[in-house]
Amino acid sequence: MELNSRVPSGPLAEKWNNHKFTNKLVNPANRRKYRVIVVGTGLAGASASATLAEQGYEVQTFCIQDSPRRAHSIAAQGGINAAKNYQNDGDSVHRLFYDTIKGGDFRAREANVYRLAEVSNEIIDQCVAQGVPFAREYGGTLANRSFGGAQVSRTFYARGQTGQQLLLGAYSALSRQIHAGKVTMYNRREMMDLVLIEGRARGITVRDIMTGEIESYYADVVILATGGYGNAYYLSTNAMASNVTAAWRAHKRGAGFANPSFVQIHPTCIPVHGDYQSKLTLMSESLRNDGRVWVPLKAGDSRQASEIPEEERDYYLENKYPSFGNLVPRDVASRNAKEQCDAGKGVGNTGLAVYLDFAEAIKRDGEETILKKYGNLFQMYEKITDSNPVKEPMLIYPAVHYTMGGLWVDYDLMTTIPGLFAIGECNFSDHGANRLGASALMQGLADGYFIIATSVAHYLGTHSLEKVVGTEVPFKDSKREVEDRIDKLLKNSFDGPAGKLTVDQIHKELGHLLWDYCGMSRNKENLEKALEELPDLVNKFWDYVYIPGSGKDLNQSLERAGRVADFLEFAEIMIRDALSREESCGCHLREESQTEENEAKRDDENFTHVSVWEHTPPGEFPKMHKEDLVFEFVKPSQRSYK
Amino acid sequence: MSTINLTLKIWRQENSDSLGSLEIYPLDNVHTDMSFLEMLDILNEKLTKEGKSPVAFDHDCREGICGMCGAVVDGIAHGPEKEVTLCQLHMRNFSSGDTIVIEPFRSRAFPVKKDLLVDRSSLDRIIQSGGYISVNTGGTPDGNSLPIPSNEAELSMDAAACIGCGACVASCPNGAAMLFTSAKISQLALLPQGQPEQKKRALAMVAQMDEEGFGNCTNARECEAVCPKGISIRNIARLNREYLFATLSEG
Amino acid sequence: MWFGRFLKSSIGKKLVMAGTGLLLLLFLFSHAAGNATIYMSSEVFQSYADELHSHPLIVLLFSLLFLAIFIVHIGMGLFLYYENRQVSNSRYNVTTRVVKNSFSSETMPYTGLFILLFLVIHIFGFTFSTGDVPISVTVKELLGSFFYGLFYIASFVALAIHLSHGFWSMLQTFGLNHPRYDYAISKLTLIIPLFFLILFAGIPLYFMTGLGTCY
Repeated sequence: MELNSRVPSGPLAEKWNNHKFTNKLVNPANRRKYRVIVVGTGLAGASASATLAEQGYEVQTFCIQDSPRRAHSIAAQGGINAAKNYQNDGDSVHRLFYDTIKGGDFRAREANVYRLAEVSNEIIDQCVAQGVPFAREYGGTLANRSFGGAQVSRTFYARGQTGQQLLLGAYSALSRQIHAGKVTMYNRREMMDLVLIEGRARGITVRDIMTGEIESYYADVVILATGGYGNAYYLSTNAMASNVTAAWRAHKRGAGFANPSFVQIHPTCIPVHGDYQSKLTLMSESLRNDGRVWVPLKAGDSRQASEIPEEERDYYLENKYPSFGNLVPRDVASRNAKEQCDAGKGVGNTGLAVYLDFAEAIKRDGEETILKKYGNLFQMYEKITDSNPVKEPMLIYPAVHYTMGGLWVDYDLMTTIPGLFAIGECNFSDHGANRLGASALMQGLADGYFIIATSVAHYLGTHSLEKVVGTEVPFKDSKREVEDRIDKLLKNSFDGPAGKLTVDQIHKELGHLLWDYCGMSRNKENLEKALEELPDLVNKFWDYVYIPGSGKDLNQSLERAGRVADFLEFAEIMIRDALSREESCGCHLREESQTEENEAKRDDENFTHVSVWEHTPPGEFPKMHKEDLVFEFVKPSQRSYK
Repeated sequence: MSTINLTLKIWRQENSDSLGSLEIYPLDNVHTDMSFLEMLDILNEKLTKEGKSPVAFDHDCREGICGMCGAVVDGIAHGPEKEVTLCQLHMRNFSSGDTIVIEPFRSRAFPVKKDLLVDRSSLDRIIQSGGYISVNTGGTPDGNSLPIPSNEAELSMDAAACIGCGACVASCPNGAAMLFTSAKISQLALLPQGQPEQKKRALAMVAQMDEEGFGNCTNARECEAVCPKGISIRNIARLNREYLFATLSEG
Repeated sequence: MWFGRFLKSSIGKKLVMAGTGLLLLLFLFSHAAGNATIYMSSEVFQSYADELHSHPLIVLLFSLLFLAIFIVHIGMGLFLYYENRQVSNSRYNVTTRVVKNSFSSETMPYTGLFILLFLVIHIFGFTFSTGDVPISVTVKELLGSFFYGLFYIASFVALAIHLSHGFWSMLQTFGLNHPRYDYAISKLTLIIPLFFLILFAGIPLYFMTGLGTCY
């Protein structure tokens, strides 16, 4: 597997401009002769589809939901960063670049991150022009707020629904192109396979969720915008349909998978309240500005919070990190919460939660002030948990939130398969080992609106592609493989459910395995244990899974089963990746790599690289390749929060 | 935490061509902290283990923003709690011994595909007919070049909060999509960027809405009452106004 | 043709209902103003009627115009009722109306039809049957009778119910719904139907209770 990042040479600030100039173009009149497939309609997919169609390409867009407006980008709350410096507080493209690459713990490519910061300003202009109702100052100018990991106010927002508004903006641009006949939209289609002809991505095999029909689509370029794989953990803040299947199928066809173990775990989520729980809900991190995190001093203390006297409470973050206290970064807060719960000091019914207490803040500032700041969050919390945070402390627990890892892409966002591009959360490119708040929206739209079209033009301009019609042997083979796989999934189910397991039961087991051994704090022993246990789980799945119904019509159990089967395969490289990265960095603590004060210790000497996994035939271990990261313009520094 | 015992009456329909009916399922020990969809998950696990076919229903984000879920619970779209989607409706709204009738969102323009799962692509086609500002990517003016009064932006945002779930259509006695359509028209009509296409948009979107087979608005206000995002029928008034002026000058 | 498209559109049809509704409301006001003279004395009322009928052309024109408006309002109303019934007919096994006081909006076609019935009887009773008898006498005789009077009162109750949704609905259809006018609109929605109820239903009561006999 050859990893050529194709980062343009020259000064950092000129790379993108130079690259745009040196890249080949496609004449406007010729663009209609090229067909582009886009899978996914989140921020990246919808914006890419619209942009490519506007430029004249024939676009076919696929989404798994009933409408392209529902992709999970819609759930992003906080905002979107841009280096506009509207607040005159010293922001610049370079500062946004620096904050992002530092936030990622120096595990991302300088050139990519710089380009992201550069186009961030155009994104805001574009969205305003589309009619996104961003918050405004009284004078009519755009409002900003500050966000974690930055000392400037650069986050643009539309109430707590920024993701929704940006997605609806991209969706409206996409809708316009559908109306114009430039985009053909395929709803309720799940990508099952990638089709390669002569080593190039030339099409996809999809399953029509409504009819069970397996269909082939051909194109000159395939773009994956299929999001992250956080649902490997079963419980996450991702939507139920978020999955790794499309990316994993591409990986099995030869696309390298980069840093699969880089998963962001968000510290302030509403905890699990029972084994029936299907998903976790995020609460804004801003709560930690006024809430104090604590657990009972004694393990196994089952008293109500109000019955535990002050001296029997352990404000562990304040005690351990006196200078940052409750405002330590996400990874540190998450890790410590888990540590406390593992030590038996967790609270709530499940013992998997810690208190976030506003009593002192309310005493200090008054209930009104606190409600003004957090009223809507308190309301949301109360709606879900039926407990009022003004009266009793909130219960919080970390949850899987975002995956920085993804398909490896070069500077042009092309994977190791020629003609296959990956954009948005689906690729690994810009966030290194940790993503800053309000950066995911920025990256999705940067890729879709402003980067991918240049890359597609360059690819088409430099390769002459044979004509395909979708009935070639590789298309037929792929279709048959997909059908065989569905038959294999259903093979156990003919004699009924007795003695069998449901898809969710196995998915939950996988979730526990990954959460316990490959979560926010990892060590060699546990990871090896996970590698040992995983094959048993895989076998259990294939031997015992029961799926009602057939593959010939709408079958939601079958859909889930296919996704879980891929998560199970994918988990292996996730664990192997975690095992091979013997340093603590970004979101993860590697227990063997700590400072004397038990803090994360990055190992720049041995791990300043991207780990890229290559799929190998059965019986062989997946192969890891390294793309070394070169820091020409910034100097990696160690974090400290003491 | 407590548990309740329920009797569920759920609409089961094999596909769009077959006749459906209400089936009765008892379900015990339902935790009151569960969401409504988690309750359905539990039922589906139970049905699966009994070798029966699980209930098909649409859902995705489960945090009330994607607009994918929705059913009519005891005659009310998204159930008895105000301003929540079905995924954010919790079982503590029900008591032990309750019988809950669960039916799909119904409208001429929403064919039932299976059980509680319906086809709402008609809403997408309304947006496609004109629910956008025609700008291409790139070459747009600076975001601050067009000052927009904060309260106008807020009003626009109120309308833009629509999640496209279709509860307004499901609850309307006439199956009208006026609240949905008016939300998009309002969002764009309130912003200066939306002005150039204002008239064309109103005419096109209403024409598409009618063509899809949505009903007439009789100002019954049910849509506003069940809307999980609290979208006001003032938007419908604005749509009426926009449509009248558009007809008189351009129609 | 743009007007045809307008009439075929769902909002166009609503605007036709609202527009004709507004004209009918204006007619009601002028009718009410004329009727109010009955409370002064039968002479004043008679002279109002005589004055009105001394301009037969104007009366004819207005009657025809009124008839046309009425036909459009009723015709469109019935058409919409028919269209809406096709949708709403037993859509759900359980139907719960969330909006409180939806009675008037749900019964619009029924109250409307009742008013139509009233109108037919009213016109045959007064417009076509006067002959040589002065109108003030006919009023007194007809409305003084118990059942006739009761029917009139019932009709005006129906009118009030019809208006209590119709007036607000008309403004909404015209696009008049703004926080600034909420108060005024909510008051008018109450006052206007009550005004007509008191003024119109007062007349049969006036005669049925015998208050009007002395005049």
